[in-house]
Amino acid sequence: MKRRDFLKYIGIGGAGTGLGYLFGKVTQSPGNKLIPYLIPPEDIIPGVGAYYATFCTECSAGCGILVKVMDGRARKIEGNPRHPVNKGKLCMRGQAGVQGLYNPDRIKAPMKRSGERGTGQFVEISWDDAVSTLAKNLTELNKKPEQLYLLTSDMRRRGHQHTVASSFMSGFGSPNIIRHDLLGPGNLEFANHASMGLSAIPHYDIENTRYLLSFGADFSSAWLSPVSYGHAYGQMRQGGNGRGKLVQVEPRMSLTGANADEWVAARPGTEGVLSLSIAYAIIEKGLSRAGDAGSWRSALGAYRPSEAAKTVDVSEERIYSLAKEFAQARPSLAISGGNLEGYENGPSCHMAVSVLNHVAGNIGIKGGVIPSPEALASAPHPMTGPKNSLSRFAADAEAGRIKTLIVSGSNPVFTAPKAAKVEDALAKIPFIASFSSYIDETTAYADIILPPHHPLEDWGDEFSEPGAGFAPATVMQPVVSPLYDTKGLGDIFIMVGKAVGGKTAARMPSAEFKDYLRGSWKEMYAKNRAMAAGAPTFDEFWIRTLSEGGWWGAESVKPRCAAVSVHAVKEHLSKSVAAEFEGDEKAYPFYLMLYPQAAMRDGSGALSPWLQEMPDPMTSVVWGSWVEINGKTAASLGISEGDVVSIESPFGKITAQAYLAPGIRPDTIAVPIGQGHRQYGRYAKDRGANPIEILPFKENPKTGQIAVNSTRVKVTKIGNGRLVKQEGAARELGRDIVKTMTPAEFERIKG
Amino acid sequence: MLNIKAIIYVAAGVVVFGAAFGIGYALNTYYSPDLDPVQPINFSHKIHAGDNKIPCIYCHIYADRSRVSGVPNVQRCMGCHKIIKTDSPEIIKLTGYWERKEPIAWVKVHNLPDHVGFTHKRHIKAGLDCKLCHGDVASMSRVKRVSSLQMGWCLNCHEKREVVNGKDCWTCHQ
Repeated sequence: MKRRDFLKYIGIGGAGTGLGYLFGKVTQSPGNKLIPYLIPPEDIIPGVGAYYATFCTECSAGCGILVKVMDGRARKIEGNPRHPVNKGKLCMRGQAGVQGLYNPDRIKAPMKRSGERGTGQFVEISWDDAVSTLAKNLTELNKKPEQLYLLTSDMRRRGHQHTVASSFMSGFGSPNIIRHDLLGPGNLEFANHASMGLSAIPHYDIENTRYLLSFGADFSSAWLSPVSYGHAYGQMRQGGNGRGKLVQVEPRMSLTGANADEWVAARPGTEGVLSLSIAYAIIEKGLSRAGDAGSWRSALGAYRPSEAAKTVDVSEERIYSLAKEFAQARPSLAISGGNLEGYENGPSCHMAVSVLNHVAGNIGIKGGVIPSPEALASAPHPMTGPKNSLSRFAADAEAGRIKTLIVSGSNPVFTAPKAAKVEDALAKIPFIASFSSYIDETTAYADIILPPHHPLEDWGDEFSEPGAGFAPATVMQPVVSPLYDTKGLGDIFIMVGKAVGGKTAARMPSAEFKDYLRGSWKEMYAKNRAMAAGAPTFDEFWIRTLSEGGWWGAESVKPRCAAVSVHAVKEHLSKSVAAEFEGDEKAYPFYLMLYPQAAMRDGSGALSPWLQEMPDPMTSVVWGSWVEINGKTAASLGISEGDVVSIESPFGKITAQAYLAPGIRPDTIAVPIGQGHRQYGRYAKDRGANPIEILPFKENPKTGQIAVNSTRVKVTKIGNGRLVKQEGAARELGRDIVKTMTPAEFERIKG
Repeated sequence: MLNIKAIIYVAAGVVVFGAAFGIGYALNTYYSPDLDPVQPINFSHKIHAGDNKIPCIYCHIYADRSRVSGVPNVQRCMGCHKIIKTDSPEIIKLTGYWERKEPIAWVKVHNLPDHVGFTHKRHIKAGLDCKLCHGDVASMSRVKRVSSLQMGWCLNCHEKREVVNGKDCWTCHQ
């Protein structure tokens, strides 16, 4: 390079730097803005968090939560340490609760339909328009009020929000409340009522038991009250009483199964048979603690281990050893849920487990099944049943008996099989109003949407079951001001009721829901002397209740003692307690097991990117669906991990990617519930497959509960693929990552 | 035929110019920010804190209990200015904001990135004078930033005062 050129470059460089500097000066942003309050709210210090107590509505367990609110925004949810259900702990669903509040696809104002039904196209309208449209429609039904139907989930644990909805319906003159809850414990409740006479879900005392025999109950993920049971399980294993034993009976190893000492992979549908044959073995060996063991021996004659062994695919010796351990460990406890809840004869399976508890003398003792006392609030306590089942809803819609439908808290288009024809039923209904916060698959069929507040913005209360051995009274209070133009759920019913006028208006509380709630608590306070202890006036009591999150003082009602009699369960156990599966065994060689994950549950978690991103605890798969297939089965079908396979039942077909699971029976495949949404916001839509679609529409005739484990399927490979998951390999492959040794070795080293 | 040499010369020139332009732009952005931005209202700390000796914490009410010191809310300004100097042109602007129910969008003078967990509360509790970081605000008619707010500047002070865990990363970057 010549000297001249070098100097030229120096010049160019200098000019460039100067121009760059000037350009920066000219385009420099004017700096961030500092925007103060016009008038500061009294309870907010900018930058300092305030904590408000309320409860979690992500499932029906009713955990108490504390929400950290900073500058008027809900930032973080943690468990309420004083709440008796969760004792300060919280699961991932609860933690992700804020993503329901801030979800970008939340409905921000009332809307009416602008496109075809089912497409989910809506335009915003005002509250006055929305309420008067619905009220006008309802007034037209005045002569035949029973043409109004309310489609809801199992709302009865939701305290006074439910009371207002019920009085709205009864005031209007319609008895037609349809309850649809895919994962609701309807079968368990029916079985407990029929066998033990219990009207509430009892307290399963996992904490104090020494031997836990779980029939499919995945209590670490999604069974009844996972956080409470998780805590109790920790106490059972590592508390002061030495290490209790856990045996899990299920065809697909769940998270609970992975934690168990023994995994018993009984044939799908025969868990009830296994339970009864264990009961028989206990009596046979003279280990029963029940006074009426003799009569049980003859009643259970058909379940001799020698005969049952083949049916359940568990060896006779193992049945006897389970029976011996179960009867000799004091106290022991058998629980039932998960896949048992999902069989078409779910109640019989649950009753079989009640019988086992009875025979081993586990009912009404510490560390066993403890009946719960009556809840504080005398809210109506209807059992789910054929009268309010989805099949009745579909039949009534088909016959044109439904003129107006209100949907609140249920999404059957997603959570019911295609064979239930819910979409056809909705198409037959002239007018549908939805009280939903999101455009889910069912709301997409609505003509009008009246969006309620998110529970973090709303008032309410709850008396959860199984609670903490009793039903704690927990209050829901707004922790932030409403983000959008929404109304409290209770207030929507009140507004519509008043606009309808007549008897409906007369049944509605005169004030807004918040005051009605306070008034109802005042009545409870007046009746319950334990509440008044330490709080001489109601105002003091109410302030203390709001700051603590609720009230769970001493219960005055003693729980009733319960027992199972042969007479009570005979009718249900007379037929075979083995569940039936649709589809010919030759054409459809595999049992299909559907299971709820802790994160997605019935699919309601799919709207949260945190939950989508969270690896499934057993497979580490994220953002999608998979099908668990036993490695040997997969090899025989030429399927390797990640391959796209088609799963076909007599009722339909879905595709998912294969996950080769070591913990599943070779004749069974399992698919998680929750993905495959066609609506429900950007994070849920068009992701994975919905396995509920290919189920037969089988309802239990006694409880109306839909059977999710009720069909056989065939599996064929249709392409290659790669599964999005975190782990490289699920097994150690000789890398010696975790040191293991047998108990004997450990004792030797310790000694 | 193209003169390849000439093309190389021009290309090299473009590269040198581009790189230099970038350096100049970065220099401006990172080392020459606007230290005393013009504010929507020409508020004078000299009149308030200097001449009238109003203590800092009278208006910045959260300094001793929060990470932020708190920009005075408009109600607080109006508390005095409903009566005092109501005819001055800047106060007329203020009254305008109040009557329109509109908060005043002040321009930030001291800005820390989000990864710095600075809190006023601890520094006030440690007995530091506001002047130490903010300079003699009482003599400024328009606030000017006097400290660099760079990490080295923080650490110098932490070291000099022998702050417990003062050089631990987690003390500030939580």
